[in-house]
Amino acid sequence: MTQTTSSQAESRVMVQNRFSNVLQWIAVPAGTVVLIVAGSLLSPKFLTMSNATNVLINMSISGIIVVGMTFVFITRGMADLSVPATAAIGGILALGLGPALGTLPAALVGILAATAAGCVNGLLIGYARVNPVITTLAVGTIVLGTAQAFVGGVIVYGQDPQIKEFLTSRLFGVVPVIVLVFAAFAVAGHLLLSRTVLGRWSYAVGSNPDAAQASAVPVRRTKAAAFALTGGLAGLSGVLLGLTLQTARPAIGTGYEFNAITAVVVGGVSLLGGSGSVPRAMAGLLFVQVLTNIMVLQGVPTEPQGLAKGLLIAGAVALDVWLRNRGGAK
Amino acid sequence: MSDTESSRVGNPVVLRMDGISKSFPGIRALITVDLEVRAGQVHAIVGENGAGKSTLMRILNGVYQPDEGKIELDGVVVRLTSPIEAKKHGIAMVYQELNLVPDLTVAENICLGATPAIGGFVRRGEQRAEAERVLSQLDAGVNPDDVVGTLSVSQQQIVEIAKAYRSQPRIVVLDEPTSSLSEHEVQAMFRLVRRLRDKGAAVIYISHRLREVLKIADQVTVLRDGRMIESRPIAGITTADMIRLMVGRELTDIFPKREVEIGDPVLKVSGLSRAGAFHDVEFEVRSGEILGMAGLVGAGRTEVARAIFGLDRSDSGTVTLDGQERTIQSPAEAVRTGIAYVPEDRKRDGLVQQMSIRDNITLAILPSLASAGWIRAGEQQRLAVEKATAMTVNPPVVDRNVDTLSGGNQQKVVLAKWLATKPRVLILDEPTRGVDVGAKSDIHHIIGDFVAQGTAVILISSELPEVIAVSDRILVLHEGAISAVLPRGSSEQDVMRAATGEVEQ
Amino acid sequence: MNALRKIGDSSWFVELVRVRVLVILLATVVVASVTVQGFMDPGTIGLSLDRMSTIGLIAVGLTVLLIAGQLDLSGGAVLALAGIVTISLQASLGPGVAAAVGVLVGVVTGSLNGLLVVVLKINSLVATLASMLMVRAICHWATDSHPISGKDPFFGLFVSTALIGPLTFRTVLFGIAILLLWVWLSRTVSGRNLYAVGSNAVSATASGVRSNLYLFGGFVFASVMAAVAGTVQSLAVNTGSPAFGQTIVMTTIAAVVIGGTRLEGGRGSALGTLGGLLTIAFLVTAMEYQNVPAYVQDIVTGAILLLLIILDSAVSGKNHNLLTIAALKRRLGRNQTPPEGITQ
Repeated sequence: MTQTTSSQAESRVMVQNRFSNVLQWIAVPAGTVVLIVAGSLLSPKFLTMSNATNVLINMSISGIIVVGMTFVFITRGMADLSVPATAAIGGILALGLGPALGTLPAALVGILAATAAGCVNGLLIGYARVNPVITTLAVGTIVLGTAQAFVGGVIVYGQDPQIKEFLTSRLFGVVPVIVLVFAAFAVAGHLLLSRTVLGRWSYAVGSNPDAAQASAVPVRRTKAAAFALTGGLAGLSGVLLGLTLQTARPAIGTGYEFNAITAVVVGGVSLLGGSGSVPRAMAGLLFVQVLTNIMVLQGVPTEPQGLAKGLLIAGAVALDVWLRNRGGAK
Repeated sequence: MSDTESSRVGNPVVLRMDGISKSFPGIRALITVDLEVRAGQVHAIVGENGAGKSTLMRILNGVYQPDEGKIELDGVVVRLTSPIEAKKHGIAMVYQELNLVPDLTVAENICLGATPAIGGFVRRGEQRAEAERVLSQLDAGVNPDDVVGTLSVSQQQIVEIAKAYRSQPRIVVLDEPTSSLSEHEVQAMFRLVRRLRDKGAAVIYISHRLREVLKIADQVTVLRDGRMIESRPIAGITTADMIRLMVGRELTDIFPKREVEIGDPVLKVSGLSRAGAFHDVEFEVRSGEILGMAGLVGAGRTEVARAIFGLDRSDSGTVTLDGQERTIQSPAEAVRTGIAYVPEDRKRDGLVQQMSIRDNITLAILPSLASAGWIRAGEQQRLAVEKATAMTVNPPVVDRNVDTLSGGNQQKVVLAKWLATKPRVLILDEPTRGVDVGAKSDIHHIIGDFVAQGTAVILISSELPEVIAVSDRILVLHEGAISAVLPRGSSEQDVMRAATGEVEQ
Repeated sequence: MNALRKIGDSSWFVELVRVRVLVILLATVVVASVTVQGFMDPGTIGLSLDRMSTIGLIAVGLTVLLIAGQLDLSGGAVLALAGIVTISLQASLGPGVAAAVGVLVGVVTGSLNGLLVVVLKINSLVATLASMLMVRAICHWATDSHPISGKDPFFGLFVSTALIGPLTFRTVLFGIAILLLWVWLSRTVSGRNLYAVGSNAVSATASGVRSNLYLFGGFVFASVMAAVAGTVQSLAVNTGSPAFGQTIVMTTIAAVVIGGTRLEGGRGSALGTLGGLLTIAFLVTAMEYQNVPAYVQDIVTGAILLLLIILDSAVSGKNHNLLTIAALKRRLGRNQTPPEGITQ
């Protein structure tokens, strides 16, 4: 074993850290730029306003969920697989109760129901320490079943075309309202994570739960909060999706959890917890959306895109693991 | 005295470790240590916490490589590059943390990795017979068909030893084998150890329990500060002799002691107990006082501290602060009450490595720096810089990540965090462990500042010179109970005697 | 939570939980035979078992993997792909060979999973999630998102025809599989070693067990079983569809967990899995006969699963969970840094 003085060893670790840090930071934005260049070369329709708006709209629904998933990852909550169910219940309740309560109150009920499911997740995972994967899968199944029971297994149709108009209309003729809603929540999520007590607690809990506990951080509450938040946000996107489409069925949320996990992982938010941020998750989301857009414009059928996504996840996680080991981080 | 007439000094030498040195960044763990172990002998290794016992054993087990020196087995120089290599050379380690599979039977655990089989199928009869053979050789009273998870700790230890013994090792290393055993079970363990010895194995026995060492060992080696001080037959030695060898040293570190007026009791603990960890702990600490807490590893000091701080629970007992009885069930409550705890394991419990110095310093008091959850960044920054400077953290650039700092500076950040909570009682658990001399001195200056302001300080430390130099009184724990309360001016021998249970209550 | 723990510590509760498989199974059978007319008819039971066998085959593979402390979410996708391969190659290779190739699909996907988890050290949740996405995508790609029919609709009939009494070929196949599993887990060296690997992979390796080999093999085996299930399923209905197996993973995990296999690794049994499967099978059949809609069945399954893992959490003391991040970190930290301030 070689013998180095402590300062030499330290500086060597620091250089490695810096290198892998830089790599982590530029990888995704650089990749996105590459994609944009490739996309514009491959298809004349790519760099048009309407295409860009399409991408943004698609991003918005996923994006709201990604904010929640970022919190889950950072607090080391692994993943929330109940998102399709909580999104579905949001949309179904919003549309189903619309005629009776009015659009906005119905939407609120939908979001509340989704948040309640998220709280159940939070209680079981944060306080009862049950495995997050199984918990969110099981709770998701129950919630989805409830959603289906609510509609008797059929599609719910909305009766408020005005809200659809509103959401898809463009503010200043440029930005669709729905994108603004997403942007607002993304910013709020970022501020929550970076500037508030809960945010600091989330990083501490995910990075080193023992130290957080010993430093008077309410570990269980913080973990639970991440899941409650994700439930609510998924409910919100379900609501938005339902209102925009003016239809909702139980399968409305299918695939959103994988989209969110892909975006978060590609953006460099570590599954191991304690690192990452909302902007990075958004960068990952943008990358994936642009990629998807390019494939769609090229006429690649929808599902093989899943292949790419799968490869992306595997690749991104492997890279993260590799960088962690090289960087000397523990 | 050993149970045998002679110390078997005539037995052949199985292991010779010659001039072994090993350093880690900032620590010289072993300095030219020699060790000679003979077959059919129980060779005890004793020493204080940090003397180098576990490092030496890890080198023997192939986990570490020595920087200097050589290892000879039966006169042949060997390089032990991994635990598997060591095992191949007939060295068996039995650690305190057991490596058994709880859902398999005793026989299956003993034979794991070399199960008697035919065509892939377990030959159960043979497996059982094999296990019985090993168990009977050791005269162990364990049923091979029992599922390991259902056995008591002492039985599991026996299984672990049997498992190690199956490969007919020439050297068996037992690390604190009796630390979790009752008196009765200790006798069973002794029988086992003697059987091992009588079968011709060389047994290396690491223990803090000097009385037991006197009963079971043939030879004893004393380590101190990484050096081998003396190795001699057990005949004629007393525990007092061993203690003197373990602690006698030059006082090279200077620990500053501030003269402070000691006021009224701030913290009173009474009847504090938790089954298996500590019982009936009772003491008080006064304002401006430094109460040292000494004892061997496993004596229960950290457990008591964590219980007072609300990190772990206690079965019974009361904690009184400034005359008012408090129930503290979480660190958050402890902080609100005015108690702070600087943990023993800095990396695990002290710092969040991925966060900045500023975030670490303010972690325990974040709610007070925020309005409706929104952190007042300017105030947070100012406070962090102020504390970092007060602690002489070098460099006091609080935006940097905390893992860019040296060990000593990291410890100062941890102290800064707790200083920020403005505690009435500060519990320090091994605050200068793994810290260079300069930082040690700084940290003690800081502790001096604390007490000057009227804080009551409890200092848990395994470094006797430190405890003695700095404490106004010394509480000594032995196996979960207070064995002595020593006044200022006590000697290291006094402390060690109480720590090893030599003193009658 | 403390109160729960106190209950969890009491010995009668622990015993009850230990035999809970039997208790739940018995309860289910009693309730079912009371509420459903003709439940105990051999025909009904045969039907129940036949439908359960698809999940059962996957459960056999998953039991092995869970005992080793790993998770596999890709089973459903592999099932679909194997079925698609079996059906689509029937024309060119003949039904028998096509079926064999279908099973081989499992070897490929299992190796992929093994590569991701054992070699690249990716957490099994994420890794099998990724492979699930990829495999599902390949399914859609290969079929253009439409179900495909086989050339020979009669070839696969034997799968769901009664073979021995009311038991179909599929049921018998499953029966053999679970029997072999039982023998393997309780009587062979490798089977017993599996528990060691799941309990503490590091110390198993130190004892001479090649843990990485077991983990890799576990993934391959689980995928192969899913492929077998998919092949048989597609033959039975002469259809290969990219939509098959969407919710099957959830149900399978439920069955295995009900059967007492812990998610932490190191514990599980063939008998337990059988018990869990039978429980689910009878439960589902009973609910169907009562015309309980599918989504309510889902709710019930989900609720039972949840209840059981909470129970498990309350009863089991230590948590050496290989599915936790902490365990993953431990596996990643191969450095030999000395303890801060060496204690002895």
